[in-house]
Amino acid sequence: MSRGAAIREDILRRLRGTSGRGRKLRGLIELLRPYRWRVAAMFVALVLGTAAALAPAPLAKLAIDDGIVAGDLATLNWVVVAFVASALVLWAASALQTYLVGWVGQRALQDLRIRIFEHLQTLSIGFYSRKRAGVLVSRMTNDVQALDQLVSDGVVTLFQASLTLLGTIAILIVLDAELALLTFLIVPVVLLASLAFRIASADAYRITREKIAWITSYLQETLSGVRVVRAFGQERRHLDRFSDLNEDNRQANMKTVYLNAAYFPAIELMSALATVGILLYGGHQAIDGDVTVGVLVAFVAALNNFFDPIQQLSQLYTTYQSGMAALDKIFELLDESPELVDKPGALELGRLRGEVRFDGVSFCYRAGVGDADPVWALRDVSIEVPPGQTVALVGATGAGKSTLAKLVARFYDPTSGSVSVDGHDLRDVRAESLRSQLGVVPQEGFLFSGSVRDNIAFGRPEATDEEVADAARAVGAHEFVQALPEGYDTEVGERGSHLSAGQRQLIAFARALIADPRILVLDEATSNVDVHTESRIEEGLRRLLAGRTAIVIAHRLSTIRRAGQIVVLEHGRVAERGTHDELLAARGAYWRLHRDWAEQAVA
Amino acid sequence: MRTFFRLLGFLRPYRAGVLWSLGLASLAIAGTVAIPWLTGRAIDRIEAGDRGGLELVALAIAGAGLARLALTVARRLIAGRVSLGVEFDLRNRMYAHLQSLELGFFDGQQTGQLMSRATVDLQAVRFFLGYGLVFLLQSFLTLAIGAAAMLILEPGLAAIALSPVPFVVLIGWRYGRRNRPALQEVQQRIAELTATAEENVSGIRVVKAFARERHQVARFRHSVTRVFDQAMVSTRLRAFYNPFIGFLPSLGLAAILFFGGRRVIDGTLTLGEFAAFYAYLLMLISPMRSLGIFLGMAQRAVASGARVFQILDRAPAMTSPPGAPPLPPGDGHVELRGVTMTYPGAAEPSLHDVSLDVAAGTTLALVGGTASGKTTLVSLIPRLYDVDSGAVLVDGADVSRVDMASLRHSVALVTDDPFLFSASVHENISYARPDATRAEVRDAARRAQAAEFVDALPEGYDTLIGERGLTLSGGQRQRLAIARAILADPRILILDDATSSVDASTEQEIKSALREVMAGRTTFIVAHRLSTISLADEIAVLEGGRLIARGTHDELQDRSDLYREIVEKGLPDQVFLTEKPVEAEVAGL
Repeated sequence: MSRGAAIREDILRRLRGTSGRGRKLRGLIELLRPYRWRVAAMFVALVLGTAAALAPAPLAKLAIDDGIVAGDLATLNWVVVAFVASALVLWAASALQTYLVGWVGQRALQDLRIRIFEHLQTLSIGFYSRKRAGVLVSRMTNDVQALDQLVSDGVVTLFQASLTLLGTIAILIVLDAELALLTFLIVPVVLLASLAFRIASADAYRITREKIAWITSYLQETLSGVRVVRAFGQERRHLDRFSDLNEDNRQANMKTVYLNAAYFPAIELMSALATVGILLYGGHQAIDGDVTVGVLVAFVAALNNFFDPIQQLSQLYTTYQSGMAALDKIFELLDESPELVDKPGALELGRLRGEVRFDGVSFCYRAGVGDADPVWALRDVSIEVPPGQTVALVGATGAGKSTLAKLVARFYDPTSGSVSVDGHDLRDVRAESLRSQLGVVPQEGFLFSGSVRDNIAFGRPEATDEEVADAARAVGAHEFVQALPEGYDTEVGERGSHLSAGQRQLIAFARALIADPRILVLDEATSNVDVHTESRIEEGLRRLLAGRTAIVIAHRLSTIRRAGQIVVLEHGRVAERGTHDELLAARGAYWRLHRDWAEQAVA
Repeated sequence: MRTFFRLLGFLRPYRAGVLWSLGLASLAIAGTVAIPWLTGRAIDRIEAGDRGGLELVALAIAGAGLARLALTVARRLIAGRVSLGVEFDLRNRMYAHLQSLELGFFDGQQTGQLMSRATVDLQAVRFFLGYGLVFLLQSFLTLAIGAAAMLILEPGLAAIALSPVPFVVLIGWRYGRRNRPALQEVQQRIAELTATAEENVSGIRVVKAFARERHQVARFRHSVTRVFDQAMVSTRLRAFYNPFIGFLPSLGLAAILFFGGRRVIDGTLTLGEFAAFYAYLLMLISPMRSLGIFLGMAQRAVASGARVFQILDRAPAMTSPPGAPPLPPGDGHVELRGVTMTYPGAAEPSLHDVSLDVAAGTTLALVGGTASGKTTLVSLIPRLYDVDSGAVLVDGADVSRVDMASLRHSVALVTDDPFLFSASVHENISYARPDATRAEVRDAARRAQAAEFVDALPEGYDTLIGERGLTLSGGQRQRLAIARAILADPRILILDDATSSVDASTEQEIKSALREVMAGRTTFIVAHRLSTISLADEIAVLEGGRLIARGTHDELQDRSDLYREIVEKGLPDQVFLTEKPVEAEVAGL
């Protein structure tokens, strides 16, 4: 591309700011549809208000020409009455309009947030693994917030400024067509200046937003990592780096200062020059008697209404730009279609016996992304788990243990082969009927903010206090819960941060137990807890596993020893299967792992 | 009011700029005021039929416009520079101050709270100092000059026309005062909503596993409704105050038409004077409104300033004494003499009268249950915290008497959940020694058993990791932290539970790396696993913040019941320990 063409392309990009504008605007309108009557009322108020706001100039003209100059007191009185009346109308209309815009705008954003959230709930775990949590959250918060400006201020400014501009043009023409045409001569200059400003400022403002975001995240990071900073005595270095970022931010903002310093005073100058032009040209005409003085005064007064909206509209562009960028991201998320949906006529599972079968299952996380060589997380795995049996999955990191567990919960579908429960292929059953009979205990015992009771009853909110306490008792959590300041009503904090790792683990056990799952998928915690908690967890685990089919990613020898079946995975394949004693006797992969452990234990 | 004057202190380096921009602003206002006045004169000339006079006046208006242009451009450039300078200084000062505070300060604070001081509050202060103050004075000046012009022109009429001014300012101020807490509450509720969304996204596996999607939507809907309700509180305030503030000046205009019109008919006022009056009031409407708004802004800035000063006034509790000597040379002999230490805000001391002498170059393992004081003890060596009584000595020097930087450069710490920065692997490893060469970094990585996986990363040592880069597993992070410590080449090495999140085979590898690194350094190991404890020459057993036993493995087997219990039950059981898989960044499994 030639240099000229590149520059043209760049300017076009800045002007456009965004792509697929039509679709996004339709999306916005779609959001407003349920509230169309209020939107209509808002527009009525807007038009009324704008009209009332424009009234003073022509009224002033009437007062001067027909009242003051003519010496007609009655007319003057009437004009003053009309003047006050128009101010009252403006008051009422803008109060109504402010309220309605706030209501409709906030409601639409609320709907959008819920829509994003609901959509997120339908997406598969695979989707969540690909995206960062922070990014997804930001769609519902920051991006919707960026739209808030566009919806609340932007739309109103757009219509109000446009209406004011049109109304002023009409008034100027009615007042005096010749003078009006003279005034409009300056319009191309103003438009050109505004256009130039818009092109130049598009990137400048985006860059300032980026710079401040860098500062904020650097601050956040060095505050979270303050322990490391102190331990290594590296304060000086962070100060220098922060100061550099700070300086970048200053430079970026300085650009916007230059731009604003050029644009806004220029518009002011043009407004002054327009006044001069009107006074000179109109003044001579007035002296000649072609134009009344009232027209002249009204004309000069109305000029303000002519330049203000042009300024407002060009400022609006920044809001528009960031709003559209946010919409882009939001729509991209809403376009993400759920990968795992129930088939039409999917089977509603009755009470399960709990038999689990893997039949030649292969799986790769990024199937069909055009990789010549897919990385298989699981390769041709066949396992049968009879009802009530505990299967311990062992193997090195990346051997496929957690993938296998995830397939049982149908977080993913196998790439080939099938996973079935009681003889039903998981792809043919309703996900909810499967999951309601399935308990999952993740490694860190993820808890939600709320009380201990809420967390235990998470899978079965209708559970009574008695049932909650029973579940806690069964896994050995009752004792410590009772010792908490407010017992079962104690708030666990964000992600359970008020509890220790061991306590969270026990609550997660109770949560799984109360749902009384037929099949349990469990990732044993690896975090270090003290000796007493460790034995309590072991005991809780034993109670939890009793009488259910369980797939356990096992790390504790005690769990592995008790398992009915041990599956040793190596590089996504089943290397060995059998009980502890059988596998030790076979002197294979399991025996080697066990030997490593034994050496360490005595070391 | 004291806070207000202290805030003004931030402007001191920019005194000249502030004065210039005020002066220029006043002149520009004079230009703005002159234009309606000249317009009035022009109308008078027209009425008089004086063409020459009209042209002269028109020329004067154009001149005033041009002068205003020059003044405004200069004012904006100077004020912009001042404002950005104040922002720059304020932010650097805040950051530098935070970096000067001791670790204990951060333990008692939520990062979110500090962030909000350093961003939201700082923003309010700098908006006010940078723009608000100038605009406040400018609005005030415009009002004063405009009002003066009107009063000189025709005092009686001016008094009537200006009567809405105090009300507009007062109501504007009141609006600001009522709306601010309402808006803060909106922010608060948005923060809650963010937390709810965050939690759901992070815990999505649990949500899906328990088929609780609908419940979560209901919960989120509740949060969203709370935001809506509060936003409407603010909307209602706006819908009430804003139009009202807009309405009052119209009464002034109506008064000019009504009374002024009569005066023109009476012949006691010229039409030109009347037109100028009208134009003046139009011109004063916007400063009237701004004055109220900027007064509210000033109030907010003072409130925010008070919170900023809370941090800036918090003196660093832990500094090197003036002229402190660097840590004397030595091989890392560490001694604790009757050390008692209480965390800020804690009721009970975390260490009671602990005395411990660790010979240079030896390795001591610290064992004990949760909250027995192991981590506290090792934190005292690089003086992350100060002791209540007793003393910590490194190579014979009290750590509180030597230069803190030289002490910390001699001690390296590896924790169980190592914190890495959003930067390249190279930058993370060379954290303590930014001048390290590529070869040195590679060598450290190799010795920490990290070289292999780093080479497999998409861009090797230049791969970005952390929040904005690649997510590493616990074991990988751990090995990078060890490499970081190796490169620091410390006299004293502290491994605080450093091998807990790696599997048995990796631990085996790391152990051989550690053996090499530990050679010739004094090392403290906080550990649960016997396999790691076995690296130590001696073991210290802590319980409830007291040192209850010390000796070799064999000695303690005989002497300490607690140690025996730890050995018997103490978690060598986690055989096939797995690293967290990379894709399981979202809640487990």
